[in-house]
Amino acid sequence: MSALTMNAAAPRSGVWRRECLAEIRMAWRLPQFLLPTVLTPAAFYGLFTIAIAQTPSPAMAAASLAGYGVFAAIGPALFGFGAGVAMEREQGRIELKRVSPLPPGAFVAGKLCAALSTTAAALALIYALAVFAGVRLAPEQWILLAAVHLGSTVPHALIGLGIGMRMGGKGAVASANGLFLGSAVIGGLWIPSAYLPHWMQGLGQATPAFHLGQLARGVVGADTIGQSWVHGAVIAVITVAAAVWARTGWRRSPA
Amino acid sequence: MFDQDLSIVAALKGVSKRLGGNPVLSGLDLAVRAGEVTALLGPNGAGKTTSVGLLTGRIKPDAGRVTLFGLDPSRSASRARMGVMLQAAGLPDVLTVEELVTLQSGYYRDPRPVAETLAIAGLADLARRRCAALSGGQARRVQYAMAICGRPDLLVLDEPTGAMDRESRHALWATVREAANDGAAVLLTSHDLAEADALADRVLVMERGQILADDTPAAIRALVGGSTIRCRTVLSPANVLALPGAHRAEASGAEMLIVTGNAVATVGALIAADAALADLRVADASLEDAITGLLQGERRIAA
Repeated sequence: MSALTMNAAAPRSGVWRRECLAEIRMAWRLPQFLLPTVLTPAAFYGLFTIAIAQTPSPAMAAASLAGYGVFAAIGPALFGFGAGVAMEREQGRIELKRVSPLPPGAFVAGKLCAALSTTAAALALIYALAVFAGVRLAPEQWILLAAVHLGSTVPHALIGLGIGMRMGGKGAVASANGLFLGSAVIGGLWIPSAYLPHWMQGLGQATPAFHLGQLARGVVGADTIGQSWVHGAVIAVITVAAAVWARTGWRRSPA
Repeated sequence: MFDQDLSIVAALKGVSKRLGGNPVLSGLDLAVRAGEVTALLGPNGAGKTTSVGLLTGRIKPDAGRVTLFGLDPSRSASRARMGVMLQAAGLPDVLTVEELVTLQSGYYRDPRPVAETLAIAGLADLARRRCAALSGGQARRVQYAMAICGRPDLLVLDEPTGAMDRESRHALWATVREAANDGAAVLLTSHDLAEADALADRVLVMERGQILADDTPAAIRALVGGSTIRCRTVLSPANVLALPGAHRAEASGAEMLIVTGNAVATVGALIAADAALADLRVADASLEDAITGLLQGERRIAA
């Protein structure tokens, strides 16, 4: 009996990979979710940095790219997890997953893969626009920049999961929207923090978006506020806190 | 004593649970056995779905013990042997039926082949259809397929056939029966007493978090004494109750429903008392009659 039980408990190989592929497939089959999350960051970057400034200096286009890349990542993370999980929970789909033998980690990984895949597409578009605007970076800078941008998904996904496990669909959409736009403004992703009113800049320092944006600016050689290791440490602390928050939401949620 | 019964697959022992400050279950004992279809019946708010939530590990009891395959139900080792069809669960709109069932099958260690699962659930023709394009009854069949794809030792079906047409309902009943005959334990909650009557080996009647009756459908039907009489009569329910054998009389519209322990005596007296008697029909008491009687008796005591 106990040997049988142990055997049945062992997760079937490939369950994490299959869950990720299924979540990616679902995300890419939802054009009403995919198009805004992929196109909006590129449209904003093209409009505000390249079109309005007419011929921005490559340095300015690169500094702006740092912020818009973070912006591109936090949308899929906050909406896919916050609004997406809340709606799936209302439909009873999360409960069905939770009574199945799917490991909770694989569930989170699947959603994370979906967010990363749409973020990667959005990043590819704005990187292409940046090159078109004359941004030239060394290969290792591109790699580091992409790592910071894709990595921005993680803390925001956990914050989104915490929201999704606590709020109903409508409340979660509103919260995700508020966080998304709020982070973009006070975190200095659209307008560099140095140009923001002092109080806004101060408030922005509480957002992971600000610290991720500063890290990205450091990678492209733009002027930054504060030191990289401090930003890294703050991001780590926020990520751990968000993970704890998401986990308690998952455990306490009745469904 | 309970622990020694090896056929018990899932059990609640002395379980109490409050939700939102109200007691939902109080000291409930319940066992689900291998090879049996156990039906949990009762009015809304009786605690059926809460009991299912406890057995599937989704809710923790305030007091008492819940075991699933002898373990804590939140352990993945117990979930690996269980298939669940929830009362209300949506499907991912953009996946096809086959993709979804394949994904779910992959959660289990030794799943059925997907084609076989689809055939059992009557979905072979719908395999390539996206879930968004399914009717309510078809979506329930997909959820049933997701519940059985892992060859579970415990199949939990919470109101499985609500949105199904007659044909699908009977087809599903046949496959549930087959699963139980193959040794699976089945826990069924239902509002549809015909469903419980057709499927269940054991019926548990719940009200206000307690078990009122735990027996075979036939034994529970016998609790009310055996037969029902329906007719049009000028007599009042009080007059009818005075007839020999009659122990329940209810007027609904022009029709009178009488439950009796002695159909011959009651019908004889009825004909003698009412010359205008019409539309007389006599039948075995249905499970519904029996349970209505049980619940009414309980309410009278409580009041």
